[in-house]
Amino acid sequence: MIEFKNVAKYYDGQSVLRNINLKIEKGELVYITGHSGAGKSTFLKLIYAAEMPEEGEITIGDFHFPTMKEREIPELRRSVGIVFQDFKLKNDLTVFENVALPLQIRGMPEKEVKSTVHEALRKVHLRHKVDAFPKTLSGGEQQRVVIARAVVANPLVVLADEPTGNLDEEIAQDIMAIFRDIHLQGTTVVIATHFQDMFRRSGRRVIRLDAGNIIGEEVG
Amino acid sequence: MMRIPYPMHVALQSIWREKWINLLTIFAVAASLLMVTLMYFALFNLDRFAGKLPERFSIAAYLKDGITPQETDELIARVKKQEYVAEVKFISREQALADLKKAIADIGSVLDGMQENPLSSSLEIRLKQEYVSASSVKKIAAELKSLPGVDSIYEGEKIAETIAHVKHSVMVAGIALFSILSFGVVFVIYSSVKNLFYRKRDDIEILKLLGATAWFIRWPFLMEGGVIGLFGGVFGLLGAYACFFLLTTQLSAELPILRLLEFPHAIVVALPLIGLAFGIFGAIVAIGRIRFS
Repeated sequence: MIEFKNVAKYYDGQSVLRNINLKIEKGELVYITGHSGAGKSTFLKLIYAAEMPEEGEITIGDFHFPTMKEREIPELRRSVGIVFQDFKLKNDLTVFENVALPLQIRGMPEKEVKSTVHEALRKVHLRHKVDAFPKTLSGGEQQRVVIARAVVANPLVVLADEPTGNLDEEIAQDIMAIFRDIHLQGTTVVIATHFQDMFRRSGRRVIRLDAGNIIGEEVG
Repeated sequence: MMRIPYPMHVALQSIWREKWINLLTIFAVAASLLMVTLMYFALFNLDRFAGKLPERFSIAAYLKDGITPQETDELIARVKKQEYVAEVKFISREQALADLKKAIADIGSVLDGMQENPLSSSLEIRLKQEYVSASSVKKIAAELKSLPGVDSIYEGEKIAETIAHVKHSVMVAGIALFSILSFGVVFVIYSSVKNLFYRKRDDIEILKLLGATAWFIRWPFLMEGGVIGLFGGVFGLLGAYACFFLLTTQLSAELPILRLLEFPHAIVVALPLIGLAFGIFGAIVAIGRIRFS
């Protein structure tokens, strides 16, 4: 599903990721953890091609760096659902319209869009906020909209970058429960977080990063 | 709920939200297209008048005094043989005087005291249409003047020359103005879309991350550019029609020739389409290549 072979990434000559070798199988739920600046976000960005590796090879399903062409990037991103740390919601669109975007990008007919969006919003318990604008929602609600948008098109893999970063404990638990549900439906989920509580006693793979290196792997 | 496709939704939303800026842009485009249209309007009518000229254009060859009827017949036969001649009409001195009297009937009494007919007989030579141009008329006039029995020629070459000159000048000015204003129209739309593109860069980034193709991102901007151009064309057309109406109704009382003006109906469809094409082109240039990495 996802494979990194000797991957290295540099910013301005400074190494951010070094010699990363990793394989994530289809249907796994994997946590990437480490302190701020450990390279977690960069690791995720390499998966959805927001960054390109300077060294090594990356395989995401049928896509393969460095042979992949720039014009294939949209197709790769359509097979990945991303939960951004800063949400990246379009504030001029309603909750429904934000969640519908990935489907419209895929050219889904409007009738199907409606039922699919409602189903995705039901999963994150936000059907009652369908016509609300993001700015009127709480942080937890916005995060759930982002999750609904990430899963609405049934991607092969869902990536989440610090999904509970700005949320209080109770809401964070709700969000984690949603990710577990998504994983139970067979989707590969990769979550980058520095909160230990998120994966403690989860029984899932936890990969530890420090200063751009994988320093350990355990079961949470 | 979203009922219209995303690109149209975004384009309409943006047009409405930025309505005043968009309206100003539309007027700027309309003003530019109006100037181009007025130039075309002038050229169109001048061309129409010039097109009718060959039907009426003729050269007058005044004959020498004392030319005999036999010499006149020989001259007519010789002129008729020329490839550029469509028709030859002989006007005798007497007929010329009668025509003159008829033409100046109101002041005809000035001719009453005249003892002798001062006019010459002449040949009115109508040319074939393809020979009615300033250069060929000049050449034909010289040729006719060299014929025996011909005293002088009134070739009307100046008229043909002036019309050709004005037509050429208007065409050159029209092409120059069209090029400059076309660039202006594209630039106005380019600036408008570029500005919008810059303000929406965060939204565009989100779309890219969600897997949107370059065309999915481009469509709303092309639609917006197209709508601005299209309405610019429509307003330009309305302006051109208002000018035509003013010229043919209000001003024609003082300058009756203006009544002969004709509105080039082809621009009713062409101008909005030209505006649309410029709008889309301006937007394409403004967006440029969309990069994903």
